[in-house]
Amino acid sequence: MDYRAQIGIRFITRRKGSLIAASLAVAIAILVVQVNSVIFQGLYDAIVRDQINYRFGHVYITRQEDFITKSDFMLVNWLQRIPYVQAAAPRVDTTASVNATVNGQLIRDYSVPVIGVDPVLDKEASTMSQTVGDGQYVSFRNSAVLGAIVDRDLGYPKVGDTIKLKFKDQHGNDILRRLTIVGITSTAGSVGLDNSVIMNIDTLRDILDRPHETQSILVRLNDPSKDKDVKDLFLSAFPSNADKFKVQTIEESAETTLRGFRSGIALINLVGYFGMMSSAFAVVTIQMMQVTSKTRDIGVMRAIGSKRKDILLVFIFQGMVIGAIGAGLGTVMGVTYTAYAKETHMTFQGSLPLEVKYNWTSIAQTDIMAFALAVIASIYPAYKATRLEPVEAMRVG
Amino acid sequence: MADYVLEVKNVDKVYGRGETEVYALRNLSFSVKRGEFMLIVGSSGSGKSTLLNMIGLLDRPTQGKVIIDGVDTSALNDNQLSSFRNSKLGFIFQSSNLLSDLTVLENVTLPRKIQGTTQNAAEESRILLKTVGLESQMNKFANQISGGQAQRVAITRSLINKPTIVLADEPTGNLDSLSAETTVHLLKSLNRKLNQTFIIVTHDRPQFGNVDKVVTIKDGRIMQEEMEASLT
Repeated sequence: MDYRAQIGIRFITRRKGSLIAASLAVAIAILVVQVNSVIFQGLYDAIVRDQINYRFGHVYITRQEDFITKSDFMLVNWLQRIPYVQAAAPRVDTTASVNATVNGQLIRDYSVPVIGVDPVLDKEASTMSQTVGDGQYVSFRNSAVLGAIVDRDLGYPKVGDTIKLKFKDQHGNDILRRLTIVGITSTAGSVGLDNSVIMNIDTLRDILDRPHETQSILVRLNDPSKDKDVKDLFLSAFPSNADKFKVQTIEESAETTLRGFRSGIALINLVGYFGMMSSAFAVVTIQMMQVTSKTRDIGVMRAIGSKRKDILLVFIFQGMVIGAIGAGLGTVMGVTYTAYAKETHMTFQGSLPLEVKYNWTSIAQTDIMAFALAVIASIYPAYKATRLEPVEAMRVG
Repeated sequence: MADYVLEVKNVDKVYGRGETEVYALRNLSFSVKRGEFMLIVGSSGSGKSTLLNMIGLLDRPTQGKVIIDGVDTSALNDNQLSSFRNSKLGFIFQSSNLLSDLTVLENVTLPRKIQGTTQNAAEESRILLKTVGLESQMNKFANQISGGQAQRVAITRSLINKPTIVLADEPTGNLDSLSAETTVHLLKSLNRKLNQTFIIVTHDRPQFGNVDKVVTIKDGRIMQEEMEASLT
């Protein structure tokens, strides 16, 4: 082994207090970044997951400023011939005023989003049906599933009760329709359709006087990485200048929801990186203490022939030891935390399950950054060590 | 022509400037032949350690030249001085100045590692340690041996690169009388055995008995230069 590496390693490993303190500073910085990543990236991914599952699918097809007039049957069949497509389902969105009568009493009158779904196709393209805790998913034409929030606001009507909704059709006429509650949804964190009423798409089309029209088609892929391919395929088959389709990947369709969150993640990551900078300052301080405590040894080494660059390398090697041990420890702590979060199905505010992943690329990047910072933080103390004159240095101690 | 390994020519060392200017050494000149055992003596503050630092290339004279083995060291840059110190000079300090984080053997081989000639270094170090009676201690850390043993290790370290000159600054200063006597005996016997030049700074002239040369320093000047003839 190179003698400078040997001395650097001995200097730091025989000062266990300094080694532990410096390595812990590096490790904790990595842990902070990892915890941030698990929580906030997990939360971001959970939101993306739920947006895919409940609202947009992996690819979301609408028509610019209007309803889709092409047959949804034809479009869904066309999409399902693409090998990457697992399922596709049409939806129609509108709003309605609710006059709910529960046990003969008028409970409330307010506006709620209403989503029309295909009872069969929607179960394949979305996991919305799995959020029905009480009852069943939309089936027959005049059935409705209440979101948990709507149900709460209406005073907890039960499955079997009816609600009366007031719609406006496309001509502006009021249409009253009584629907039977067949199920009540409840999603973790209420990120699903808990503030909506879900009903049969054909019933809603009739009410709106939009027979065979569709507002959106959500497409679920068996390979989410092919979302752009599916988008391109669709737009090449149905050019936007003719059909005026608007096709968005999940990143595009959920952009409004995700934009603010991404800024938040960037801010939180910044906090993590500030933590890393703090650890670098801790390494500088500890390395300066090392230089001070080893001043006499530095003088002796210089006297017996070590060059300034050799002294520099001794302390750079020390920084490498601190960086390597700190990165290793930080990785173990970070991965342990990630495993804990994954195994315990960690949730955000007790409801939204985080999408916890082992992001090895991110872990490796953080480790490399922490290691590099520990080495960079050692440069100044190492440089100070090289400036010591042998005679002066040997007088110390 | 005499075989001089060291020539000190008109060396001045001045600290401070203007009114605070202090001459630590003033116009010093002397020379040392190969294989000589020489003492630099003087009272505390006389400038003997400063002179040793000049000879050891640990400090540069303000004026004058230090020529070692025919090389004018004033022309060398910092890196060249380091290499020169490593290959031509061996150092023994008052307190042994071993690296406490290295073992005895690692301390002895360190100059060889610095030189980059590690082949047989461990074996040669073992032989030298055996010479000074410390073979059994070689795997101990430097802070686990006694002061006298540490000084013998330091002597061994100073010899591992077969230097032209071995410089010792008060090598017995921190030792008890028995260890000091052992050290002096060891230095003199090594001088005879290896035919290497030893220059010792000491304030305890009688401890060393017969030597080849004694230079007495006072107030930065050479007061007296005694040769072997007058010493025996």
